[in-house]
Amino acid sequence: MDKAIKQSLKDIVGAENFTDALIDRIAYAKDASEHQHRPDAAVWPISTRQVSDIMKLANREKFPVVPRGAGTSLAGLAVPEEGGVILDLGRMDKIISINIEDRLAVVQPGVIYAELDRTLSPHGFFFPPDPASGSVCTLGGNVATNAGGIKGAKYGTTKDYVLALEVVLPDGRILHTGSKCMKSVSGYDLTRLFVGSEGTLGVITEITFKVNPKPPMTSTAMANFETLEDAGRAVSEIMHSGIIPSALEVVDQQSLMAINQNTDLNLPEVEALLVAETDGYTREETEFQMTKIVSIFEKNNATMTRQADSKEEAEALWTARKSAYGVVARINNNLLVEDLAVPMSKVPDMLRSISELAKKHNLSIPTVGHAGDGNLHPVVCFDGTDPDQVRRVEEASEELFKKVIELGGTLTGEHGIGLAKAHFMVLEHDEVSMDVMRSMKTLFDPNNILNPGKMGLEA
Amino acid sequence: MEGNYEFEKKFRDQVLRCSSCGFCRAVCPVFGLTKRPALNARGKMLILKEVMDGNVELGDELVETLFQCTTCASCTNHCPSGVNPPEIIKQVRKDMVHRGTCHPAFEGMNRVLEEYSNIYGEDEPEDFERERNKKAEMVFFIGCVGSYREDEATLATLNILDHLKVDYTLIDEVCCSGALEDVGFNVNQRLSRKNVDLILATGAKTVITGCPYCSRTFNNKAEYGALKDAGLDIIHVSQFLKDFDLGVKTDQLVTYHDPCDLGRHCDIYDEPREIIRRFAPNFVEMRHNRADALCCGAGGGVRGAFAKNSIAMARRRLAEAEEIGAEVVLTECNSCVHNLKNAKLRAQKFKIYTTTQFLNQLLETS
Repeated sequence: MDKAIKQSLKDIVGAENFTDALIDRIAYAKDASEHQHRPDAAVWPISTRQVSDIMKLANREKFPVVPRGAGTSLAGLAVPEEGGVILDLGRMDKIISINIEDRLAVVQPGVIYAELDRTLSPHGFFFPPDPASGSVCTLGGNVATNAGGIKGAKYGTTKDYVLALEVVLPDGRILHTGSKCMKSVSGYDLTRLFVGSEGTLGVITEITFKVNPKPPMTSTAMANFETLEDAGRAVSEIMHSGIIPSALEVVDQQSLMAINQNTDLNLPEVEALLVAETDGYTREETEFQMTKIVSIFEKNNATMTRQADSKEEAEALWTARKSAYGVVARINNNLLVEDLAVPMSKVPDMLRSISELAKKHNLSIPTVGHAGDGNLHPVVCFDGTDPDQVRRVEEASEELFKKVIELGGTLTGEHGIGLAKAHFMVLEHDEVSMDVMRSMKTLFDPNNILNPGKMGLEA
Repeated sequence: MEGNYEFEKKFRDQVLRCSSCGFCRAVCPVFGLTKRPALNARGKMLILKEVMDGNVELGDELVETLFQCTTCASCTNHCPSGVNPPEIIKQVRKDMVHRGTCHPAFEGMNRVLEEYSNIYGEDEPEDFERERNKKAEMVFFIGCVGSYREDEATLATLNILDHLKVDYTLIDEVCCSGALEDVGFNVNQRLSRKNVDLILATGAKTVITGCPYCSRTFNNKAEYGALKDAGLDIIHVSQFLKDFDLGVKTDQLVTYHDPCDLGRHCDIYDEPREIIRRFAPNFVEMRHNRADALCCGAGGGVRGAFAKNSIAMARRRLAEAEEIGAEVVLTECNSCVHNLKNAKLRAQKFKIYTTTQFLNQLLETS
């Protein structure tokens, strides 16, 4: 990148908000995925105007710009694969307004998920998606990736809460989408187009969210199943019983074994463990729902069912699910945290296939997931310094996603395509659909300067 | 696989195990202030991976991040992969110094301790008008900050020890020099030998330190092993005072700042609170407390090398005291007191003391 461009960037954001230092270029080369490529420089804009000026410059000089929140992507969404400039939105971190009367929160993109939740809490409100990285991930990143979490089955994902956006387009124009009304069918739904667009169409600089009142009570239960099929039937039956749990999570046998090897939790090493949570405004309400869920567990041959009587007991029941990632992270150098979704009835088939793939490729693939919406996270464990293991991981991934599509599933439930799954896009999307997506990218970003190389749009 | 540097031999596995999840962003005080990812633990681990791969030299370009860590260990506490960044960083600093790269402030600190007996390079310590080097049950070891910067806090602690009729002595102490280990150097043996000899000569059974860092150094560093070998107990003054009730009370709204050296590094959270609750029923926690407490920004050499950021981190901590309407902020570390007091804005009306200093005030006015 030539000096004149760097000087222009400094002129826009100020010298203190520009860097091309080696330490920053290394730190911005990676997100939480295994992908890595250094940018030429990074900027910390503090206003929409600055973002707009940066995009105008980039569009004129034709250098790549990669918007970045907390860089917690597990699919390489924030890795500057073609170099260029990292646009770190972390310093645009103001909560602009909270309007409980209209159920609205207006924020800048760099606000941390947990910070919004903390601000809403005294009002008895919350922002439901609840991604596992909530303590660090930014709301701009949540919108750009359409982030989900454990509450998906009942509360949906980020897309269900975004009402309006301010977006800087690749040519620097500032676009306002949506409305602050709870309902609006005025024109094309441009808001939804940008949610989950992975920073390929525009830079989100302001978000208007709908927020929810937070039910204060929860009930929790855990059940063990000797076979995946029993667990799967229980999940399906719960989800069409009329009760919608606020969480319904699955932990597989490989995860349970890994947890037992590295903790003293001493969990039964069954094929599947399910944890369910119901929420509501009274104890009667949450217990009524939970009683029904527990009876479905039992009807489907759960070998042991435990219900929490206190907050502490509920936390204990969550330990298996919540400690799974930490346990595997501590014992493996590299983790490929996969993400896929299948129709709910196919969850047992999918889990069975994952277990067979692990055996076939001699890999450890513990799997946890949001059973209530069919979204699973196989965690492929390997040592990145061993080329043979890396090859086996690649082969297993390829077969995994072919199986997902065969079962009528989708490549990603909540992590996105990014770099990791760019080459799988054509497995799921036919020629027409890829053509329309590519046309849209060209319409918004004819010079392909915004987060290039992602989502398989260039193939 | 063995690398070129000591840190690779000792910590290669840990550096590789960092999964770049970024959870350290939520708790790193340097990152919280600067919002610059190269300065948090993930950034540092990515840089060290590049060093291990031979892509980057452990040179001057890395000083700004590798020497800018308060070693507060918040990241260690929250790391799902079990990585301990401060321990890695301390070894990396030694490797850097070994190959001739260092922050000038840290070089200066090492030079000062070669010539002088305290980190400030001052000649005359405060006298404190107490007997020194006599035979006693206990030695009270003040530490550099308490001797040269926060002498009022020290005087207050000594008054309380007198009030409780504790059989103690001061010694002609010199810097414990433990901090050198954090900034790329080693404990200065001339100084450690002098402290050990003076302490042993008193025949004491217990060393009470005014500074949690000195207490860690005496307990953990091989150069002070002779103290433990002689059967001495080394405790911080907060551990000692928890057994006494001075019978004083205040109705002011009091909060407590956990020093990293006492909290995350020694797991001492309850004793200081027990003491405070006894005289301050209006005790309120700040938003981040105990193992989640925000660092005051002074540790790991950051106050000396990156003064502006160090003070700004202390301001972030004090904003939390303001948020809960505290009238008194207590802590158990002179270094924290020093940094927090320097950072306090005129508009902030609360007072900042060590717990013993505040207790002594209550005692004097009761």
